Amino acid sequence: MAVVLAVDDDSALLRAIGIGLKALGHSVTTANTGERGVSEAALVDPDAVVLDLGLPDLDGMEVCRRIRQWSDVPIIVLSADGTEDRKIAALDGGADDYMTKPFSMGELEARLRVALRHRPALQPDDAKELDLGPLHVDLVHHEARLGERPLELTAREFALLTFLVRHAGKVCTHTMILQGVWGPRYGTEVEYLRVYTYRLRRKLGDDDGVALRTVPGVGYRLTVKTTS
Amino acid sequence: MSLSWRRVLLGSGLALMVTAALSACMVPFRPQLGTATSGLVLVVPVVLGVAAGGFVAGVVSVAIGFLAFDLLFIPPYGTLSVGATRDWVALAVYAAVMLLVAQVVSALSAARAEARRREDHVRRLLELSELLVGDDSEASFLSRVVTAVRDAFDMDAVALLLQRSHGLVVAAEAGQPWSEEQLAALMPRARVPVRAETAEGGIRTLALAATGAPVGLLGFRGPVLGGEDRDLLRGVANQVALSLERARLREQALRTEIAEETERLQKALMGAVSHDLRTPLATIKVSASTMRQTDAALNDEDRQELLRTIDVEADRLARLVTNLLDLTRVQSGALIVDLQPVSMPDLLEESLTCMEPVLAAGQLSLSAADDVPAVTADPVLIGQVLVNLVENALRHCPPGTPISVDVARHDEHRVVVTVADQGPGVGASSEGHVFELFHHRGPGQGAGVGLSIAKAFVEAHGERIWLDESGRPGARFCFTLPAFEDAGGKG
Repeated sequence: MAVVLAVDDDSALLRAIGIGLKALGHSVTTANTGERGVSEAALVDPDAVVLDLGLPDLDGMEVCRRIRQWSDVPIIVLSADGTEDRKIAALDGGADDYMTKPFSMGELEARLRVALRHRPALQPDDAKELDLGPLHVDLVHHEARLGERPLELTAREFALLTFLVRHAGKVCTHTMILQGVWGPRYGTEVEYLRVYTYRLRRKLGDDDGVALRTVPGVGYRLTVKTTS
Repeated sequence: MSLSWRRVLLGSGLALMVTAALSACMVPFRPQLGTATSGLVLVVPVVLGVAAGGFVAGVVSVAIGFLAFDLLFIPPYGTLSVGATRDWVALAVYAAVMLLVAQVVSALSAARAEARRREDHVRRLLELSELLVGDDSEASFLSRVVTAVRDAFDMDAVALLLQRSHGLVVAAEAGQPWSEEQLAALMPRARVPVRAETAEGGIRTLALAATGAPVGLLGFRGPVLGGEDRDLLRGVANQVALSLERARLREQALRTEIAEETERLQKALMGAVSHDLRTPLATIKVSASTMRQTDAALNDEDRQELLRTIDVEADRLARLVTNLLDLTRVQSGALIVDLQPVSMPDLLEESLTCMEPVLAAGQLSLSAADDVPAVTADPVLIGQVLVNLVENALRHCPPGTPISVDVARHDEHRVVVTVADQGPGVGASSEGHVFELFHHRGPGQGAGVGLSIAKAFVEAHGERIWLDESGRPGARFCFTLPAFEDAGGKG
């Protein structure tokens, strides 16, 4: 049971999402303009926001940016024009996940579940240790453990893992990861990421509790595997 | 050459005549006048001779003056011998000063003539450059250039050949027509560099090159040009080449611009159509998947609501597809208007049945004045116009805002249909563009296909559609239709 804020200018879609989420046991607030979306986000303090990028008054990305000024609430953006660049711009601008219209209720629910599950994983920047399911990262001693098994990581691999754990559940774009791990002068060297995520995946193994997923054309996402 | 000799003769003759006249006047008084005065008077014919005939005429004038001075005014008269020493001095000074004067005056007039010629060159260049910066079509520009070149250099004929994909072609000519052989003589031969001096049978060519690349050829028939005119012609040719190059670059830039604009429009169309199609699809998908996935958790009311939403959105999708197909028909010119007498109240009712949910809720009201005659129209097209206008109002108004469709007499031969809402209206910035394809009021607001189709359909009837901005709140769209008039029963 979570409080979800849905922002879209299409009233029929809002109504359908409202009924669907309510049936799944969530409590839903809706807003049909960007301004109203921002103020509702402040008023009801939702657990997740579903935000359409094409709003009549404010650009969805602007709404995203404004909410991010005070809140870490997971934001799932909806795009209708099907172009990659707007999705990536929204993710870079602070959104956690995206969906392209049309989508099913099941898909929306799955994304909400990931967003809600990893919400506590967003840990303060000055934390000395990070945990994600069975994964434990010790920032002071530069050590990572998966359950009882210590991970042998190079410095760069460790930095990449730390970045992904800090943003667990969120879709991290190539640019975000490159700038966060390699430095602000990077951003287009997607091939580095391919190499390092391949190594990291091998070291994490595929039977243990975390999964590093590729989001085609966009980036990567680290999540806790569920038994379900 | 003959011209300058004639000038010399003219100058010399003038000097001779003036000398003779002045001498005739002075001879009776020569004892009183003295050698100095008569020498001074004889300066006049020399100056006149130089001015009229140039330096050579000046020298002849000096000789004439010298003889007249010596024979008539220096004693002993009538002989070349000179008596007194001071007369020698007078004669020598006269000769020296006069030669100097002849030289100075002729140099001055030569400089003046040179200045005039330069001025003339500058003027011709200026005229041509004004021609070159002019902004008209290439064909008229080229013909004006060759005409200007012909006039400026007194040519018999001028032709301009331009480099095209399949070789050099004659782009413009002026003066006497060119024969096939003459044109063939213009064509450059392999390995023979084209130069201004290349001449064959009185035909000369000049290569036009800009930014290091050949642009074309200028061909002439007519008098051989002197050195300076040739330089001037070369300057003119460079300017012509540059402006041809400029015209080519401008055309290229224009083509690039058009390509970019087309691409932008296509992108806009893709994005807008994508948005318009995906939004109702998303609603249908969410509604249907909710019913499948969580059926047990839904109460009756919600289930009905979802079913109704699916129904309405499917209609919306169908209308959109119809609009897109209509748009294709309009754009491909395949629109056929099937005119027939139509009763407007019936048409309103029929065409807006797909708006049944809003009609039932009382949000949409239809009305027609009693005196409205039948109209001549294509009921299918006008029905689509009505649906598009009502849907546009629905989309831009808060839910529940009343929308009205009214039919009234416009004038004797016309009926006007008004679709009015009480929503936010059309912003001043959008007023001029509402009927434009892909105009929409904000990001992700849809393609705006509906209004442009409404406009196309109304205009296909030869009628007008407009946005009424009479200051009332909301947006008011109006269009006219011709009243149906019985054959023979005009007015």
